Amino acid sequence: MAAMEGVTMAGAQDQPPKVVERLNPAVQQQLNLDSVKTRAISLFKAISRILEEFDVIARTNAVPKWQYVLGQFSMVNLELYNIVEDIKNVSKAFVVHPKNVNAENATILPVMLSSKLLPEIEVEDNVKREQLLHGMQILPVAAQIEKLKTRIDMIGAACESAEKIIADARKAYFGTRQGPTLLPTVDKVQAAKIQEQENLLRSAVNHGEGLRMPGDQRQVTSSLPMHLVDVLATNDTTQTFPDSSGMYQKGTPPLLTTAGNNSQGSLLQVSGAQFGRAAASPSGATGSTSFDNTTASPLQYANSPRSGANIMNMPSPQQQQPQQLQQHQQQQRQKMMQQQLLNQQQLRGSSMPSLGQMQGQHHVQFSQPLSAQQLQGRQLASSAMHMGQNQLNQGNQLNRQLNQFSSPANSAIFNAAQTTPASQMIPNMSAMMPSQSILPRMQFGISGGNRTLPAPSLSDQMYNMGAANAGGMMPIQQQQQQQQQQQQGAFGNMSQNTPQNIQSNMLPMQNTSQNHPNFQQQRQQNQQ
Amino acid sequence: MECVVQGIIETKHVEALEILLQGLCGVHRESLRVHELCLKSVPNLGLVSSEIRLLCDLEQPEPTWTVRHVGGALRGAGADQISVLVRNMMESKVSKNALRLFYALGYKLDHELLRVGFTFQFHRGAQITVTVSSVNKMLKLHSTDEAVPVTPGIQLVEVTAPASSENYTEVVAAMSSFCEYLAPLLHLSKPGVSTGVVPTAAAAAASLMSDGGGTAL
Repeated sequence: MAAMEGVTMAGAQDQPPKVVERLNPAVQQQLNLDSVKTRAISLFKAISRILEEFDVIARTNAVPKWQYVLGQFSMVNLELYNIVEDIKNVSKAFVVHPKNVNAENATILPVMLSSKLLPEIEVEDNVKREQLLHGMQILPVAAQIEKLKTRIDMIGAACESAEKIIADARKAYFGTRQGPTLLPTVDKVQAAKIQEQENLLRSAVNHGEGLRMPGDQRQVTSSLPMHLVDVLATNDTTQTFPDSSGMYQKGTPPLLTTAGNNSQGSLLQVSGAQFGRAAASPSGATGSTSFDNTTASPLQYANSPRSGANIMNMPSPQQQQPQQLQQHQQQQRQKMMQQQLLNQQQLRGSSMPSLGQMQGQHHVQFSQPLSAQQLQGRQLASSAMHMGQNQLNQGNQLNRQLNQFSSPANSAIFNAAQTTPASQMIPNMSAMMPSQSILPRMQFGISGGNRTLPAPSLSDQMYNMGAANAGGMMPIQQQQQQQQQQQQGAFGNMSQNTPQNIQSNMLPMQNTSQNHPNFQQQRQQNQQ
Repeated sequence: MECVVQGIIETKHVEALEILLQGLCGVHRESLRVHELCLKSVPNLGLVSSEIRLLCDLEQPEPTWTVRHVGGALRGAGADQISVLVRNMMESKVSKNALRLFYALGYKLDHELLRVGFTFQFHRGAQITVTVSSVNKMLKLHSTDEAVPVTPGIQLVEVTAPASSENYTEVVAAMSSFCEYLAPLLHLSKPGVSTGVVPTAAAAAASLMSDGGGTAL
């Protein structure tokens, strides 16, 4: 230890020729060199002993007891660690390395001894110093030191608070897993209120509870929003909910299909326009005449419903002419509406519930191209549907007939229809006849002898408008309710169904025959 | 067929939910304003009365109409085990004449409501749509401008995804895993089952609404 030799203490003064170098006793005590030496020697002995043991094991090829070996190793390791801690204190003061300059360290010694940093390290150092002392270099050094200290303190505080939060979270996490929950709970009163509101909301959305308005409030009193203005026409007559369908009867613009389906498209448009006109004057007589004016084209179809209507008019001597006109106009309009609706493309194949029963019976007929008869049938069916609902105020014979059209399962309608009054429905019924051979049967059976058929009602253009899109309409099945008169002849060559022409129409009607297979089917079925 | 779950959230947390959804879905919100008319057929027009919903989307410059029929849900032990309702549903766009058509067919207006809110549509295992809306009722018939909320303090959250009978299990799984991400704010359940609010909603909303919360030096 060169340092030891270099330190000459007062203890060596009394022997000037022989300098005994001893350490300062204070330093000596502090460093406790004797004990370190003892410990180092004992550690050396322990390690050598262990090495001998390993040697023996290796020579005898025995399996060492690893636990024992590891224990020894850890003991030795700990002892070494303690010694090194103590020696560190000594080394700083007294140890120099390398001791001599020789070949191997001659080149590197100048670098090791220089106090100037390597260039790259120096640049990095400068950059970091700049960052740290940004804005502070002008201040005196003491101030800089102060600022840096405060900065360090703040960082320390932030770290401590972060650690605290993490510890709390950890506690909470472990707490929830193992013990009672530490999560916040909603207090009971509030929870009950929320539960109640929630039930209200869910039932409103899913079932409509709380959103239904009583009937008297269902009037459209205020102005309709934009998207409903042209959908629901307002009307000066009653617009109560049961008449909601009636609402649009009167004022809505005609609903026209793409008229490319058949030649009746133009007729559709024409009638539609007239319907609009009719809406303007609901009770005017102009409606009927205008409707009549457009009946030119039906003649091109055999078995047009007009002829059928005329035929029905024939055997009913109790026609009430004045009533017929008014009812006829109304019904025509309604039917026009319905027909137009039904003739839209959307109806094709639609699964309307009211048609469900009929569909079951005449399923095969949907796919077939429409003939005039089918068109009639469909229109009649659809108008039957519609009328069944919205013409209650006009008398319910329509409903009765509707019932008869549909399958036997529809007894509810039938029962409702049974109670209906007057003859006003009959003209509509005739309009609903799917096959003209059955028409008279329907008429008489349903009306029960009340056979007043305003003939003009049969001349509805609506039937002629039958665009091919009344896809969901089945030819109506009719049930024999009462005495029926069968007229087997088809109504071919029917001219316009004006009341005046009834007589003349009868004869040709008798001669023609229905040869459409579907109607034959119907007839057969109906005759069962 | 569709898979659907519903939940409720307090109106004060809706903004936080929007932030969360924005982060989860990666798409922007779309505003929603739909006038829903529920039409029922009278019983004597069919064996059972049926219900049709007409939805008018008022958000577009030109209102578009959709008709929707909700059918029965899957039943059985398997259906009870999944937390999502799988039900038949048919939907189609229609013209504005649909309302008149259904009136003509014999349907009657049963009730109507107005939904106002926003919706997120994205793909995450399945095409999922999340709708957060306040359900409003109209005091006067069809008066959508004067609609008041049915429950002012609570809004409805609905998560739906279309499915078919072959793939509904995957769709259910995708929806369930997505709904777990919303757990801090709300619970979602089948439409008939009520859930209540989640106790951590306030804390979760606060953390979503704050601007990160880092300690400043």
